[in-house]
Amino acid sequence: MFKSVSGFCLLGPSPQDMERHHNSATRTPLNNVGVQRRSKSYRLSYRSCLGTAASRLGLTPALTARRLNTSRRALKPHGVAEKVDPEQLALLVKTEWQLSYVTPLHQFRHTQLKSYSRRLAAFIAAGKQQGLAVAVENPQTTFRVSFSLVEGMTESADDAETVLIQIHARPSFAGQDEPQRPAWSGWLTCVNGNPDYLRSLPKDFTCLPLFGSSGAEGLGALVKSWFQQSFDCCFGPLEVSHTSLQWLMALWTNCHTEASIQHLKMIWTLPAVPPLEVTYTVNPEDAWELWRSVRKQKENRGGGGEEEENCIDIEEVADFVQGLKSHFYRHFRLDLSAGSLNQVSTALGSAKHSGRMKISNSRYMTTTLTLLTESALLKMPI
Amino acid sequence: MAATLSLSGSPGLDPSSSSDQSVSSRSNNRSLRVAEKERKKNEAEDPFVLALKYFSDVEAGTPVHGNDEVEKNMVMVEKVAYMKGLSPEAISIMLEFAMSLRMGTTLCARVLKCLIPATVVPQEAVVRAVVWLGIGKIPISTRILFIKWVLTVFDMIDAKDQLRAIYGFIFSYVTEENLFPFICHLLYLLTRKEKVILSMYILFLQGRQPFLLSLLSLYKVFCPELVTLSISSRIKSGFRNHNMPWKSALIAVQKRNGSQVATSISLASAIKTNPRKRKHCHLELPVLSSVVSKEAQTDPSSSRKVVPLVQLHSFAHILENMHRIELPAQMGSLLGSSLALQYLDCVQDESALLRLNFWLGHALHEEFLFCGDGGASQNSEEALQFLNTLLSTQHFLQEGFSCSEAFLYKFLSVWDGSLLRPQILGLLSNIPVVPSSQIRRLLFEPLMQLFFTSSLFFKCGLMECLNNMLLKWLTWHSVYALEDDLDISLNSHTSINMTLSRFKDSVMELVDFVGQLASLSLQLEGCHSLLLSFILDFYETVCDTFLKYGLPLVVMPTPGVFYPALFATDPVSVDRLAYIMYRWGLELMLQPRKNVMQAFHISRQTFREFNHYAVVMVNCLWNSNMFQPDMGVQLGEELLLKSNVPQYWTSFDLIHHPAFMSYAVDFHQRCWPERKDMDLNSIKHSKPWSWYLEYLFSQGYDGLKQFVQSNISRPLTAAGGHVDRQDDGHVDRQDNGHVDGQGDRQDNGQDDGLSTLQR
Repeated sequence: MFKSVSGFCLLGPSPQDMERHHNSATRTPLNNVGVQRRSKSYRLSYRSCLGTAASRLGLTPALTARRLNTSRRALKPHGVAEKVDPEQLALLVKTEWQLSYVTPLHQFRHTQLKSYSRRLAAFIAAGKQQGLAVAVENPQTTFRVSFSLVEGMTESADDAETVLIQIHARPSFAGQDEPQRPAWSGWLTCVNGNPDYLRSLPKDFTCLPLFGSSGAEGLGALVKSWFQQSFDCCFGPLEVSHTSLQWLMALWTNCHTEASIQHLKMIWTLPAVPPLEVTYTVNPEDAWELWRSVRKQKENRGGGGEEEENCIDIEEVADFVQGLKSHFYRHFRLDLSAGSLNQVSTALGSAKHSGRMKISNSRYMTTTLTLLTESALLKMPI
Repeated sequence: MAATLSLSGSPGLDPSSSSDQSVSSRSNNRSLRVAEKERKKNEAEDPFVLALKYFSDVEAGTPVHGNDEVEKNMVMVEKVAYMKGLSPEAISIMLEFAMSLRMGTTLCARVLKCLIPATVVPQEAVVRAVVWLGIGKIPISTRILFIKWVLTVFDMIDAKDQLRAIYGFIFSYVTEENLFPFICHLLYLLTRKEKVILSMYILFLQGRQPFLLSLLSLYKVFCPELVTLSISSRIKSGFRNHNMPWKSALIAVQKRNGSQVATSISLASAIKTNPRKRKHCHLELPVLSSVVSKEAQTDPSSSRKVVPLVQLHSFAHILENMHRIELPAQMGSLLGSSLALQYLDCVQDESALLRLNFWLGHALHEEFLFCGDGGASQNSEEALQFLNTLLSTQHFLQEGFSCSEAFLYKFLSVWDGSLLRPQILGLLSNIPVVPSSQIRRLLFEPLMQLFFTSSLFFKCGLMECLNNMLLKWLTWHSVYALEDDLDISLNSHTSINMTLSRFKDSVMELVDFVGQLASLSLQLEGCHSLLLSFILDFYETVCDTFLKYGLPLVVMPTPGVFYPALFATDPVSVDRLAYIMYRWGLELMLQPRKNVMQAFHISRQTFREFNHYAVVMVNCLWNSNMFQPDMGVQLGEELLLKSNVPQYWTSFDLIHHPAFMSYAVDFHQRCWPERKDMDLNSIKHSKPWSWYLEYLFSQGYDGLKQFVQSNISRPLTAAGGHVDRQDDGHVDRQDNGHVDGQGDRQDNGQDDGLSTLQR
């Protein structure tokens, strides 16, 4: 039906494209991302459309092509571990999360988390019991929901604080005295969200665009529909795009000297019949060597001062991936460019194209979440 | 308990009656009931009513085989059931008819299969049917079918208290082996704590079938001391869905009725719906519901009472409570109700509209852009409905949502031009003015690709769409220019003047773009007259920008449109071109008088172009003076001679023009019926010429008439004079004087008229 749906990627072009677009993209940096805010969203008045608001029109997201950043700072082992309560941090790492994007929440108050816990518990109980016609005396005995604030995750003043949701439940037909077990958990976060976008939202919106969920799918669905009904927001699946996966590979490899990545594993799918899946594992030392040579090239090309040093460009990422591909080609006569990267993993974390992501080392959490927040913001309808 | 049935009385049976009130208008039920009574009288002849009457009155033992009447009525009921669903009364009648076995067992199953409720199922009907289950000699397969039906519609039964009252009675059926699983399921749904003790002898039954375990586990929850069996807490819900015969019909009926009664049938069987199967639920409009919030009560500032939108059921209600209406929890739900739209039209709250835009944009993106598995093609029916809702909403509000605009810019580059074409083009025509700096990249480039790779039909559709877009822009301008008190005669330094010029730039870009598309596509499609007609539609809008919409802008058509229209083989196109030229002339002549000249500078070029076109038209149609050296169309002399066309310079005058030739012949025959040899040139003599014009004008060519009257002043006294057109073709016009003047046109040349051609 569509000419090419996969070719239409909001999230970012393929490496070749990236190079081609690079120049134009650097000229229109990220601050082009923005939400258009007309005084009356669908209702134009002459002035708001064409009048003094001329500059606002230029910010209409529809009018500017949004892309992933083409340059980002290297992972720094900074902050998070010191700032965030270690207990909460432990809950966030080492779990595989299914990612979604969320449109801004309306009338969400970080001060109301207690009451949200109660309401969500009641909602889940009601949802679960639908059609059962069982009178339940106290929903709290079956489901216990807790909303908690994860302080210290934010990076900029515009970011809203992260919220962690946990649901404990007692299995359906278990006895009264059986303990409740954790059945589902999830979080909403925003790390280094695009300040222009965040500031363009009216005060009564809270933007926590990245949602991770883990646990029983039924519960996850109920949580989502509760959020939809309570804060008039929408959820949609967030895939980790091809480009984001390559970014993660490079960013993780870049940390090897500080925290061993132990292995760099990629899974590629090649469009053969039957489909060919290639698992490509690279020795950490080799990956690091390759990465270092890519970095060196850049320096030789005339990289700037200290500031530049810390930045990784999309070209370097593309070069790195190209290096891995051509190595593979030399050995197996198989060009991976024909296929698609589905999954990458190292000791620091793993990510799948389907939108499942795991962070294993909390020290490098921020940059990963920044990348994912950016991807989520790109999915926003306006 | 809306459906306490009166089996004997005349059944009120418009199945749509209850579903029509999707905006839940409980409060006017009374007036509705009165109206319904009225209608009932009128509908006494309704075949469906008659069919139901037949089934409620038919005597036991009436033969089925060879009985055409029963067949006819049965088909009638089935048709209505699958179309709109059956009203509660109809369900009572049909269920009673089936279970009483008045006409044997064959019809019983057939009736059960078509019992699709439109709204709710009256409990009493179910209770009566259960009673029949015990009395009648219903075959076992039919009994199973009945219980399955009850399970399917369980959530739609309006009350359950009486069913619970006969719990023990229902329980007695567990002894029937074949019914056992289904009865277990029904009991599971009906079980209350106090019922458990009654029915403990279920334990004597052996076996560990999952349905039994489920029921037992439920009993164990209520009375753990009575159930000694150890049941794993992990067992899956043991009941299967039994709704197969009805499910799809029921969903279809509910969708058609837009009813929100019993939202989910699948939940009726206590089985989780698989989220993967409902992947595309983002197109469902949320249910209109009020905000559940504690803050509102605790917040002292909100002491005034608010009225949730859900509680308002009529327009009058809305008006009364306008100042204190509370927005619903999900703004998207407003689209589902026509009453809510009335309110949306007045909503000024920016956040509320942003919420709506987020929801709508999300739905559009997810459906058409993000789901790579071709989701849009899979449930195109749903997508179609969604877009139609969106379109009618935008129509109602007379404005497009900004999210649909943002969506379209992305979608156009992946659209194949055929998927949901009317809807997409409809949305496209609603987009607000695009700044001229962006319009090419966002709109024109993708459209151009689509345009030149698509069929003629698409080209026409797009032309119509662009025409509508322009119309909306112009209308918007004419409304808001007034509302914002836009004084366009302000000096050129203010931003307001800037805005006007920006708006003009955008309009200009659009007109230019359509000009390009039009001239190329006319060549590609061989000047197809349908396409030409759509193009002329567009130019009819363009030529009225100032007169109708007050936008001081005059854009001439490209030669690629002008000449194909002038030389078209159908008279309608030529006529419309003449009309367009007439309007343009009017516009150019009137504009200087409107005192807006400071802001409105028409370039000399425009005047020159217009004059050029007017001269060409007059020379062509009137003066029989084709192929003048200064015309846009030029052909070498020798080439024209080679063509052997006699008097080639006359071949596009009003007599010889391919579009009018037939009229000339017809006129000739009427004028000189006795003449055997036809000499069309004889029409050119003064008297027959004026008659011929009269004749043409009487055929409805008003555009031509207006064009001739405004551009060609024929001296009335010349009536008797002899005129030889060939060499009388000089044009007495001041087409250069005032137009080419040095910019102070107001002083000298206002009343000169533009192109007064004298013969």
